[in-house]
Amino acid sequence: MDFQRFKPHLPWITLLVLIALVGVVDDTFLRPANLLSLAGDIVPLFIMALGLTFAIYIGGIDLSAQSMANLITVVASVYLASMGAWVALLCVIVGFGLGMISGYVTTRLLVPSFISTLAVGGVAFSLAQYLSGQRALNMDAMQRDAVFGWMIGKTGMIPNELFIAAGLLAITLFIERRTTLGRALKAVGAGEPAAAASGLNVARYKILAFAISGALAAIAGLLFSVKLSGGAPTIANGFLLPAIVAVLVGGTPLTGGVGGVLNTAIGTLIVAVIRASMLYFDIQATQQQMVFGLVLIGAIALTIDRAKLRIVK
Amino acid sequence: MTGRFSREAVIRWAPLLVLIALVILFTAINPQFFSLRNFARITISSAPALMVAVGVTFIILMGSIDLSMEGVISLTAVLFCMAFVRFGGNLAAGGWLAMPLILALGAGIGFVNGLIHVRLRIPSFMASLAMGFVGTGAAVLLTGGDIVKVDDDVFRGLLTYRVLGFPLMVYVAVVFLGLGWFLQTRTTLGRNFYAVGGGEDLAHASGLNVRRVRIAGFTLAGVFYAVAAILQVAKLGQAESVTGANFMFISITSVVVGGVALWGGVGGVWNALVGVLIVNTINNGMVVIGLPDYVQDGMLGLLVIVAVVLSTDRRAAIVVK
Repeated sequence: MDFQRFKPHLPWITLLVLIALVGVVDDTFLRPANLLSLAGDIVPLFIMALGLTFAIYIGGIDLSAQSMANLITVVASVYLASMGAWVALLCVIVGFGLGMISGYVTTRLLVPSFISTLAVGGVAFSLAQYLSGQRALNMDAMQRDAVFGWMIGKTGMIPNELFIAAGLLAITLFIERRTTLGRALKAVGAGEPAAAASGLNVARYKILAFAISGALAAIAGLLFSVKLSGGAPTIANGFLLPAIVAVLVGGTPLTGGVGGVLNTAIGTLIVAVIRASMLYFDIQATQQQMVFGLVLIGAIALTIDRAKLRIVK
Repeated sequence: MTGRFSREAVIRWAPLLVLIALVILFTAINPQFFSLRNFARITISSAPALMVAVGVTFIILMGSIDLSMEGVISLTAVLFCMAFVRFGGNLAAGGWLAMPLILALGAGIGFVNGLIHVRLRIPSFMASLAMGFVGTGAAVLLTGGDIVKVDDDVFRGLLTYRVLGFPLMVYVAVVFLGLGWFLQTRTTLGRNFYAVGGGEDLAHASGLNVRRVRIAGFTLAGVFYAVAAILQVAKLGQAESVTGANFMFISITSVVVGGVALWGGVGGVWNALVGVLIVNTINNGMVVIGLPDYVQDGMLGLLVIVAVVLSTDRRAAIVVK
């Protein structure tokens, strides 16, 4: 097999090599129960990365994802008591709506998405602080278990989060591969002027991409608040950069049109394995971030398919 | 329209007009905003931010992006404090040696950053993000989570000694701004940044060594981040692994608000200056007029959108990403 055909498979090969490497050092890592709980822990990050994939796929970026998740943890904690299960719908609508605003500002006011999503993130942060009264909030444990308990339990040895992740992955994969929307997003990402010239309503599809990103960030926030049984305006801080990294390592470059949600699934797992490997390689807490950065450079160098990047900016 | 009020002229001056409008707005709400003391406060918070913004401007001019500033500033700030203490703990006894050392270190980190981006052909967004992690990680490793202090009255004079109401560090920032302006307008390297940003294919076809220009740009940015780190230490009197926190998004926002285009080739260090002043004026003004602190992040976001809409030439953009 020549190298060109081999290239698209690099992300999952990188993942397998990493898993094998850690497995060689300590074979307890390879136990199914261990791998499953590792995957279960990373689900909120994965869902956020899944949403970001849409923003990055069209050549933009969504820097509001973390503030969005923060806001949703607060919304979920505040309104669970009065709305019950309907609070989930409220969360998704808030995320979708704020995402639409990002998309609107980007496409109609022509503000780069880097700035527009950062600004909307600021608005979300203010909202979260206002709603929470700048405190950490707790959910009523009984009510949480009654309404959302199914999200965080285990079925057999499989964490339930993984079913949610798989379901969302299937839906987004369907959108990406089997719908007009998915086709349109690919066209926009691969070449926006060409897509516009072909009569595509580029602005509408871009707004939708940001809205999907917002909605998924909201679901990530909801799951996070259920897991922690509460919410706070800064509780999900530290999620944004790892989520972006997960998308990029999976092989969806910032130029757009290449990669997709499956790549993000692999990218998230690569990030999870790198993080977990620190434990198995006995790397001190103070050294971990540096090692993470170095391994990241190696992982990205391996997984990017440069044939599809005309100019490396 | 032609003549003095042509579209180009309006666009060139638009960021400055936005800044003036903000000053008038905040002064109208609270007259105390318009005072030398307050302007000194704004310029103190702007000085390190301006150095970061000037550094990243060169990168954005080339159409690339640099997200390594937080890590680079943390690392250089921590090493600066350590070197300063090692060389005697005060400026006269040899502490000044730490300054050229740290500037060279900043250049070195920027060089490596550029090298990874260009040689491994990794887009600058990811290469610099990873380098930022490495920088912060190295700072954590060096300090073990502790704070490194610098107690030297002469060095802290950068903050405490005032000329015409403004502390010395503001003048230092102005000098480096002038240096950035000189590099941008009067050197081949500066012209090459615009050539690469305006059209990389064309620059390459004209025989320009694009890779070398990119590496030079990242090296230069590293030097400016190191200057920012030194000013930040002068301001706080200490350094730790989070000294560089919050510089990343705010510096890029400032540069864009000032009228530098993220797709490259448009703008320059003056835009960076006006952008930094706009963002810091908004931040300061919101406090002065007594806005509740939980509203401030959202308000900053909204005002930044307004500022970008008013102050940048977005019609030149074929595609806004």
